Amino acid sequence: MKVLIIDDDEDSRSIARLSLESLANATVIEASGGQEGFDLAKIDKPDVILLDLLMPNLDGRATFQLLRSNASTATIPIIFLTIKGIFDEFDELKANSNVLVDLIVKPFDPTFLAQQIQRILI
Amino acid sequence: MKFQLKLSHKGIILVSVPLIFATIFLAFLTYLLNQAEHEVEAQIRAKALVTEAGNLQKSFYDAGVAMAGYSITKSPLFADRFDAILRQIPTILESLNSLVGDNPKQQQVLVELKSIAYSALKILKEAKNAVATDEIDMAQMKARSVYKQARALTDKLKVTINDLTSDESMLVNKKSHQIDSKLQVKIFLAIGFLINIIIAVFLALFFSKGIGSRIEILTDNSIRLARGQELNALVSGNDEIAQLDKVFHAMAINLQEAMEKERAIVENAADVICSINSEGKFAAVSPACKELWGYAPDELVGRKFVDLVFNDDLAQTIQSARQVRQSKVTTSFENRTFKKDGSLVTVLWSAYWSERERSMFCVAHDITQRKLAEEAIKASEERIRTIIENMLVGLLIITPTGFVEAVNPASERIFGVPAKELLGKHVLNLFSESKFMNVDNEYDRKQFLETFFTKSLNRVGEFDAIKLLNTDEDFPVEISLTEFNIGGNLKFMANILDVSERKELEKMKKEFVATVSHELRTPLTSIRGSLTLLSVGALGVLPEAVKKVVAIAERNTIRLIGLINDILDIEKLEAGKLDMVFDDLALSNVIERSQESVKSFAEQHGVNLIMAQTDIKVHADGDRLVQVLVNLLSNACKFSPKGGNVTVAVVDIPNWVEVRVIDQGRGIPAKFKNLLFQKFQQVEASDSRKKGGTGLGLVICKGIIEQHGGIIGVESEEGHGSTFYFRIPKIKEPSEINKIFLKQA
Repeated sequence: MKVLIIDDDEDSRSIARLSLESLANATVIEASGGQEGFDLAKIDKPDVILLDLLMPNLDGRATFQLLRSNASTATIPIIFLTIKGIFDEFDELKANSNVLVDLIVKPFDPTFLAQQIQRILI
Repeated sequence: MKFQLKLSHKGIILVSVPLIFATIFLAFLTYLLNQAEHEVEAQIRAKALVTEAGNLQKSFYDAGVAMAGYSITKSPLFADRFDAILRQIPTILESLNSLVGDNPKQQQVLVELKSIAYSALKILKEAKNAVATDEIDMAQMKARSVYKQARALTDKLKVTINDLTSDESMLVNKKSHQIDSKLQVKIFLAIGFLINIIIAVFLALFFSKGIGSRIEILTDNSIRLARGQELNALVSGNDEIAQLDKVFHAMAINLQEAMEKERAIVENAADVICSINSEGKFAAVSPACKELWGYAPDELVGRKFVDLVFNDDLAQTIQSARQVRQSKVTTSFENRTFKKDGSLVTVLWSAYWSERERSMFCVAHDITQRKLAEEAIKASEERIRTIIENMLVGLLIITPTGFVEAVNPASERIFGVPAKELLGKHVLNLFSESKFMNVDNEYDRKQFLETFFTKSLNRVGEFDAIKLLNTDEDFPVEISLTEFNIGGNLKFMANILDVSERKELEKMKKEFVATVSHELRTPLTSIRGSLTLLSVGALGVLPEAVKKVVAIAERNTIRLIGLINDILDIEKLEAGKLDMVFDDLALSNVIERSQESVKSFAEQHGVNLIMAQTDIKVHADGDRLVQVLVNLLSNACKFSPKGGNVTVAVVDIPNWVEVRVIDQGRGIPAKFKNLLFQKFQQVEASDSRKKGGTGLGLVICKGIIEQHGGIIGVESEEGHGSTFYFRIPKIKEPSEINKIFLKQA
């Protein structure tokens, strides 16, 4: 199981990596920005992408659109790492998407994250 | 007066008594005159009768003479004379007949006279015939015989005629008697006239005494009244004069009363009533001046009116007084007047100039208080106007049909046009609804007005207003309508607040809070993740002491996260924008997830969780419901004794489902029950440190449950545990929905 983490905060990426590697036995690849994440997603074809919403330059929303607009990445499930408070359109996005879209509230419990990722991919 | 006669009756008597007397005299006089006339007539007739009787006697005598002549001369002259005389006799007899009339005695004499006359005529004719036949002797003899007979007859006739005329002669001799009765009439007339005059004079004197003296009393009374003296006693009688006197007395009493009343009014009037003479001095002042101005009336009389007037008002007062003199009607003016103690009162003078009395009559009304009140009202109005004109909130006065009647300057600023552009417009013009509703259509106007009133009458409603010059420019406003009455007319006052800036600020604040919370979360994610990874042994087994410290760090991190979440939720609750995603879901799922969440927390507190089983489905936001239940369970665990039970029970009631969280904790004092669901309230201030929690949890729970259309509450008795419950609507079973559907169909 391959998980792509797109987050500009290095510590966050590390914690997610550690959680997934140790608790869900996943292979983790990291990107520090939207564009980099999109590029990696095209090359590495992850099973699921963890996407931070607030990032400099290409933020979570834009990255999401980019991923969805590209055929090679359009079907990859995406889990946003954020809170609903600043992501008012999430419910609409979720409802209108054929591919799984979910949200894990920051700051997440590593064990809960691992469980969620496993649940998605079963 | 013995006879209660009216003046008119007396007048009638005064005229009619002499008149009656005069009439009686006149009648009597007429009678006397008639009688005299009769007597005159009788005399004339008597004269004629005597004359005719003489004629008759003479005729016979003449006939005898003619006969004698004829017999001697045989001259036709005597014959003709004789014939002429004979022809005359019947005429004389006839004449006598007519003169005798209906006197029976005379008629009898006349009949006798006639028979004698006719006998004499017969003898005379025989004698003539004897002469004609030349039987002169015969004739002479006859003539002699006839003559004798005729003489005898004539004598007889004479006697008879004397009989016949004796009465008449008496009558003729009555003349002296006639003269007597004429004298009588004269005397009688004189006496009557005298009596008449006496009666008239007596009556006149008699009545004039009764009338004249009393009229004098009346005249005297009117003089007394004018002088203010007491009137004479009522005059006697019951006639017009007495009536007049009575009325006069009554009038005098009324006048007296009226004057007394007037005096009482003047003396007791709250206002000063005074007269000022042509020299401008007080001539009379009512006692009220003591109370109002501090002066006794005597102190003012003779003083100049202007001495009392405040210097600044002097010129105006003098001018007003001149106007009063020129005006024919009561004129008012105001000034400030000095009291005796030197203080000022504001006085309203109502004055009237009497040309006859050469005086100004005044009523001086103290309006100091009124003036002060007016000034206070004016000041208050000024203040209110200043407030209204300078307030930032727009004010519109609108009619019940929605037309703008008045605006304040803030409204002009808000809608970007001068007041005249707003006045008379329908409120629909002012809002973005006018873009798709027709402002000239009455139905549309009504529709809008209904929304307008529903949303903002006695509450604050939000609308999108438009700048009237550029209707594309929307801006948010808050409107509060208040109903009020002006002189029985229903009006509405709309307070309009331009909340553009506030909305902008709110948006900024929201973004700020979101950003901050997100920025806080990012480091917290790392901290929490690190600690959890350590505590679950993902990075290798830790020594006990380290484990303990890591657990403390982890617990407090979680608490910090909870605090951030709660603050965000509260923020949204207050904005009414707590995100909710409603779905049909099994209540058991909510219970299970909640149990999962608090399991470790319950274990930490040594509390047993006893969860109910249910197959009830609800229409709810699952995550939010879990949040509520977790909150209630956490609280229950926190406040339960070690080894205690926390029970979740589900109660099925028609249309609702109630979830109850029952603990065996210390219970809640009654006074705190209502405070529990308010912000930052905890039973004990120290609880937040000892037990953790922000004091926001229950407020959020209440908000969430209320957005489900449900209720939340607590039943508790101090020392006997608490039961927190919430109640939300159940989903109707498909069969029930069908039933309703079928019913409707």
